[in-house]
Amino acid sequence: MSLIECRNLSKHFGDTRVLSDIELDVETGEVVVIVGPSGSGKSTLLRCLNALEPLSGGTLTVGGKQLGARGTSKRELRQETGMVFQQFNLFPHMTARENVMLGPRKVRRQSRRAAGELADRLMERVGLADRSHHYPSELSGGQQQRVAIARALAVNPRVMLFDEPTSALDPELRGEVLQVMKSLAAEGMTMLIVTHEMRFAADVASRLIFMDEGRILHDGDPRTLFEQPPSERFQDFLRHVQS
Amino acid sequence: MDFRWQVVWNALPQMVDGAQLTAQITLLGIGGGLVIGTLCGLITAFRVPVLHWLVFAYVSVVRGTPIVVQAMFIYFALPMALDIALSGFVAASLCLAMNAGAYITEIVRGAVQSIDKGLTDAGLALGMSYPQVLASVVGPLAFRRTIPPLGNQFIISLKDSALFLVIGVAELAQRGEQLTAQTGRALEIWTAVAVFYLIMTFSLAMVMRLIERRMRIL
Repeated sequence: MSLIECRNLSKHFGDTRVLSDIELDVETGEVVVIVGPSGSGKSTLLRCLNALEPLSGGTLTVGGKQLGARGTSKRELRQETGMVFQQFNLFPHMTARENVMLGPRKVRRQSRRAAGELADRLMERVGLADRSHHYPSELSGGQQQRVAIARALAVNPRVMLFDEPTSALDPELRGEVLQVMKSLAAEGMTMLIVTHEMRFAADVASRLIFMDEGRILHDGDPRTLFEQPPSERFQDFLRHVQS
Repeated sequence: MDFRWQVVWNALPQMVDGAQLTAQITLLGIGGGLVIGTLCGLITAFRVPVLHWLVFAYVSVVRGTPIVVQAMFIYFALPMALDIALSGFVAASLCLAMNAGAYITEIVRGAVQSIDKGLTDAGLALGMSYPQVLASVVGPLAFRRTIPPLGNQFIISLKDSALFLVIGVAELAQRGEQLTAQTGRALEIWTAVAVFYLIMTFSLAMVMRLIERRMRIL
């Protein structure tokens, strides 16, 4: 059984179809990069995988837990996934360390001390041990996003979802975030990444998905797809992001 | 111009009494208003079925009528309809609480709705329950945002309590009227009354400023 299984998943907002017939299996350890033009449904797909958006149709299973199945709550499903947002979404009234501690405390019911030690380890891992006691407003965008990654890791998810994690950052701050993501990938973390960073995709992805108009158009090896774009649409898209 | 300090001096004990009553009515009014407003504000912010329509009606009625009319209604009309008797003090406190409650409802609703949805998403994505997200994230942030507009509302309520002279409550403004009639010295009496109100509103403003400063508004 795959870590993530989407069967015939669909999503519409009113009359607008955002996702149609998504069939997707992700195995443990895969690093899946999802690309596509804006409005193609990439972000919505990630939000569906995290049950932040209710499905309109189809089924979703994460770590053997099926959404909507008897006895499985959205909450349980979310505990299997960590999410990193485009706008970081750090809690502004808490220090970096407290942001990382909140999940373990509330979700895993850890003691303040255990959660604090975990937070210290994770802050170290994203290279921000010396910024633990700063508030988000006192950190740069790149630092905030690294704290957000640490926060998502703190609940020990089986898969990490990244929704355009570098899109809100100045170019010179993107590298530090991508570096942290690379090291996660190297450690074998299962990741789904929506991004426009094509070089990063080529470097890190074990699998590339191209989405267009709410469907998965291509799904395969990144090098092959980049070198021989199998469709006009994908060629067009690559031309646009590279120029 | 002839300002007779003696008039002020002689009126002082009565004015202090009046100011005390004003303070009591105001404290009960904003205390009650906070309870009503927090409850009703949360009901509208989360659109609790059916109840949020009732709150909408309540806020519309209070905001849509002058507080003098509300005071008259509670003191004269309500006892007639329900066959009960309310003292002026009770009617005044009740009226102020109802009035402040409606405005605080809007303050609370606005504060809760102004919190970025992305923060709720982030909390839920961690696997927290919705009540946990409210308690740890939305609540504390929204609470901070209510402080400046609440300070404003408290001062308005304090000053609105002067209107209760129309139902004969012996608060500060009503004492002013009485003392003017007794002494015939409007200048001294109303100057003193104004200074009393100024001291009270200024103290209230300082307290709110202190709370604001101790809590980072985010």
